[in-house]
Amino acid sequence: MAIVVKNLVKTFDGIKALNGVSFRVKRGEIFGFLGPNGAGKTTTIKILTTLMKPTEGEAYVAGYDVVEDAVEVRKRIGIVFQDCSVDKYLSGWENLYIHGLIYGLKGDLLRKRIEESLKFIGLIEFKDVEVRKYSGGMMRRLEIARALMHKPEILFLDEPTLGLDPQTRAKIWEFIESLRGDVTVFLTTHYIDEAENCDRIAIIDHGEIVAIGKPEDLKRRIGGDLIYVKPNDYRLAKAINADVKVTRDYVIINVNDASKILPEIFEIANSVGVRIEEIKYTRPTLNDVFLYYTGREIRDA
Amino acid sequence: MLNVVYAMFYRQMRRFFRAKSRLIGTILTPLFFFLFFGMGFRAMNVRFLGMDYATFIAPGIIVMTCFTSSFIGGVSVIWDKEFGFLKEVLIAPAPRSYAILGRVIGDSLTSTFQAFMMLLLILLIVKINLEGIFPTLIVCFITSLAFNSLGVAIASSVRSMEGFHLITNLLMFPLIFLSGAFYPVPDKYKIIFYMNPLTYSVDLARYFTTGISLIEPFFDFIVIIASSIAFLLLATLMFERIE
Repeated sequence: MAIVVKNLVKTFDGIKALNGVSFRVKRGEIFGFLGPNGAGKTTTIKILTTLMKPTEGEAYVAGYDVVEDAVEVRKRIGIVFQDCSVDKYLSGWENLYIHGLIYGLKGDLLRKRIEESLKFIGLIEFKDVEVRKYSGGMMRRLEIARALMHKPEILFLDEPTLGLDPQTRAKIWEFIESLRGDVTVFLTTHYIDEAENCDRIAIIDHGEIVAIGKPEDLKRRIGGDLIYVKPNDYRLAKAINADVKVTRDYVIINVNDASKILPEIFEIANSVGVRIEEIKYTRPTLNDVFLYYTGREIRDA
Repeated sequence: MLNVVYAMFYRQMRRFFRAKSRLIGTILTPLFFFLFFGMGFRAMNVRFLGMDYATFIAPGIIVMTCFTSSFIGGVSVIWDKEFGFLKEVLIAPAPRSYAILGRVIGDSLTSTFQAFMMLLLILLIVKINLEGIFPTLIVCFITSLAFNSLGVAIASSVRSMEGFHLITNLLMFPLIFLSGAFYPVPDKYKIIFYMNPLTYSVDLARYFTTGISLIEPFFDFIVIIASSIAFLLLATLMFERIE
């Protein structure tokens, strides 16, 4: 196991940011933490990367306790923070040089690693340019190169594509994909499509994990089709004898085959005297999974 | 662990020599002090300890150059906090005290370099003992270690840039003017004079540049070494507490 987390609790001034989070991440997998802002994603990553101590619970990263053996953990991980943490007044090469020194690399090996990392991430021709002249995407790539250059066992990425344009996002994901199997990747995101790329995901909301598993399994778990009904009266939900969830905007009905059930819903609505204002059905996406477990769209959260 | 010290040292040096305006900026205030006070009072025949006024304040000006530069240099901790680089240091797989040590040594060398430039400018105007130049630079380096550490300690414990500048401004001028750099401190304030760590740097620099000192030079040396160790420990302590 690359990461083992047991019943993690973090309290800030009496408010629980994390409320008993437990999960495991296998070696070599890409594990995603999906949740809205303020769900506890960054708090979790800060605890796992030893930047913050948990109030309760335990966490082991690369086999070491994040509180007791913080230095051992730090040697084995690479981190890309949500906001920039490179020195903008130094060149890309100098940033990597300093990082390499800090992680105990030196001499020819250090220089070789810097070259390799810059080539891997496609910044070799900008190595001597001051980072403040880089674009947002180049900066993020440099941070990824830096986080990988000491060959960590586990790479942590906190919202790796936040604020980047679609092309750059796709490019960043190419790099992440190319690590699959070699490096364990733990990332947080609030983009549904990015969560789809992960081997496994945990959906976190209000400091608790509400669902965990492979994206396909999570989708399968909520069933075949989802019917979204917007009635003028929510009495309708009570009248339907099926797996029903009521959210702010819709009554969501989880069924095997929506095309057969749709007429029945109209009949039921008729019989209880409720008018249907809107109806649609979808094959479940992760967005539906999120909505199903949290009662909200990830965008509104 | 030395690699971490070196990494931070390298970084501070690189940044310094890239920011040319800073290089000149911090040297400007002491230079103006020297030109306007030193030359002005010399023209009026003001003499202290048997020296003309410009010669009298020369060592004080040199020490003031590295003192202000190193003390204010502590602010880079706040910049790093604001612009993110601090996180790179906080997650380093090494004790934070090493990162602090590298940073303080780097900044102190650059401050000493500034003091050296000031010394060269001063040499154009007044006569000082040439063989005293190197020991004076050592004094500057130790003084910079002390006050850069104090600056780092303050920067680590305040939340904002404004807070840092408030505290440093509040301390800077009293420390300079009550160190005997610009005039012999009146007896009334002798307690503060002797409690001020900068007093011993100025006195020792004056000893090396002019041969005249008010305090036993060896005692000066002990005090500046002791205060730089004390402030370095304080800096480490405060830096460790950053979350």
